[in-house]
Amino acid sequence: MVRLEKGKFDDFIRSLAEDYIVYAAVTTGGKSSFKVVASAGEIDEGRLLTDRSPKEIFFPHSEVLFEYDEDGIRETEKAGKPIAVWGLRGCDVKSLAMLDKVFGTARQMPDNEMFEDPYWKRKYDNSLIFGLACNEPRSSCFCNWLGGGPHSEDASDIFVIDAGDVFLMQPVSDKGKAFIGKMTDAAGASAQDEKRAAGASVAKASGADEKKAAELASGARAMMAEPPDLDGLDERLKGIFHEDIWEEMSAKCVNCGACAFVCSTCHCFDVQDEGKGGKGKRIRIWDSCMFPIFTREASGHNPRPLSRDRFKQRVMHKYSYFVDNYGESLCTGCGRCVIVCPVGVDIREVIKRVLSFEGKGAR
Amino acid sequence: MIEELREKVKKLLAGGDVELVIGWEKGSQPLSSTPVFIDSPEEADRLVFDSTCGNNPAVYSTKDARRLVKAGKKVGVVVKGCDARSLSLYVAEKQVKRDNIVIIGVPCRGVLDSDKVEELAGGREVLEYSEQDGKITVRGKDLDLTFDAKDVLSASCLACIYPDAKEYDIFIGEARDGKPNKEQNAAIDEFEKLSSEERWKRMEEIYSKCIRCYACRNVCPSCYCNECFVDQNDPQWIGKTPEITDTMIFHIIRNLHVAGRCVECGACERACPMGLDLLLLNRKAAREVEERFGYVTGIDSGEKPAMADFREDEKQNFIMG
Repeated sequence: MVRLEKGKFDDFIRSLAEDYIVYAAVTTGGKSSFKVVASAGEIDEGRLLTDRSPKEIFFPHSEVLFEYDEDGIRETEKAGKPIAVWGLRGCDVKSLAMLDKVFGTARQMPDNEMFEDPYWKRKYDNSLIFGLACNEPRSSCFCNWLGGGPHSEDASDIFVIDAGDVFLMQPVSDKGKAFIGKMTDAAGASAQDEKRAAGASVAKASGADEKKAAELASGARAMMAEPPDLDGLDERLKGIFHEDIWEEMSAKCVNCGACAFVCSTCHCFDVQDEGKGGKGKRIRIWDSCMFPIFTREASGHNPRPLSRDRFKQRVMHKYSYFVDNYGESLCTGCGRCVIVCPVGVDIREVIKRVLSFEGKGAR
Repeated sequence: MIEELREKVKKLLAGGDVELVIGWEKGSQPLSSTPVFIDSPEEADRLVFDSTCGNNPAVYSTKDARRLVKAGKKVGVVVKGCDARSLSLYVAEKQVKRDNIVIIGVPCRGVLDSDKVEELAGGREVLEYSEQDGKITVRGKDLDLTFDAKDVLSASCLACIYPDAKEYDIFIGEARDGKPNKEQNAAIDEFEKLSSEERWKRMEEIYSKCIRCYACRNVCPSCYCNECFVDQNDPQWIGKTPEITDTMIFHIIRNLHVAGRCVECGACERACPMGLDLLLLNRKAAREVEERFGYVTGIDSGEKPAMADFREDEKQNFIMG
């Protein structure tokens, strides 16, 4: 573990920005999202959770896949500076790792070719993720229901703890270890290389730092309520697929896409061609299973015609189907959906209701 | 007040006067109560009403066909002044039969704009909320703050003309008369002073933050088309990206489609996860309709809506330029 004094944070970000496109939480007009920054002053450090989810760094709301005109097809640029993300909370770090399972895993296509998503991989594979510990989780947070925690290092390259005057940085992945190694080497060479020295203002963490980090971790964990046991939730959901309970649980849902669009793991998309005359572009755009058009077929038939059916799909995908496909729930408990839902649907209450349901199909 | 409401609802349900009552109950988030559907007297104690009841419950009487009891069965709806206007509009637009709804008015003192509360709380999470005599108190870790309700009310409420239901079957307490006053919205006055280029720029500023989640549309009581034009793909009228041109088309068409039908409840603005100022254009349109056609939406369910009516003496300068 190394320590970075906050007085040198700006130097650190500026130096990082030389080698990386640096994303961090920025607040404009009262709403926050991850944006490209060049200095520490632009970063909203006090923000626990950004309003918009950081998935858009790697999987933007709309992304041009290729453009075409009379001269041919041009794919979107593949190369570029690698991305570094500063200050992702544990839930969001984990979300990106989940999305990597979807987009970054090579899978066999019908023609037997292996395919992995180049648009995702070109950005995510070279990225450097600085996870940031939550010392004070919100009441809407439920990462500890899904195997996470306020000080979870999972999937971070470097895990950062805000310890008052200093950031304590723990390298986690090989990439993270190499980065911190370079920084500490640079610190040693600082006398010779002034420019490097600016970004290399780290020192080895002291025993007192380590103790402080452990205290903050246990303090944060204690702030979160004991989670319910979600073991078997995926099977239970399948068992009650046809029950009336969905009617009750979805009654107030108005089927907007606010939950899916702020969700850090929802990743369904639509592909649209926008063209005029001889030129145009193909775009990948976020979509949501909450919208009726999401499943409407060319014939006009919609296999999920009712609000209830669409509500159920979102819950099933998160806590059952994704478990079948990838061995874990497609939810990290960030709680953004709980915060934004315009009619107060709280996914935790839905889960609890499913767990307590005793009607037909429950077991 | 709340006891009286619960008792009335219990009686209605027990006596078989209604099958279901739509209202609000306490939600998991302290600053927003959540819609609730009460179908037995025992459940009526769940009902709450205060400044956190920002949703317009009228929306469920058309959108949620499952909840709108089949023909002949009655539904009670607990309403603020603006919500009552939605029901009157539904009756006027023949979406709901007047005989099928029991309108239960509650005295409204305005509802919160949670963004404003959070701004006052300065980043500290609000864990508890209470209100008394026009004062609001929020508490949390290192947070104990009391302020005037008017400092955190929704923009829609600050210029509200009908805080209490105009048309109702039951009113809890005493309904105050509305005061139609188109002069009281400074934001629209300012907007009207702008040149058309400046107005366009202002609109671009607002709508560029849109993420196209359609929360505004889906909580809007006046947006009840079976199929919204943005959901049509044959032909497809509008691009789906959050690119500004398409986003503007969505908002402007929605604005025109609810002109003369918007009750200015502000549910859209409170629902928006990105904090867009969605009321500006809607209120501008409401003012235009009132000035040109002498029509205020949802005040008299017997009156033909402006867009469904034609009078020989109405101003036609918009046609002649």
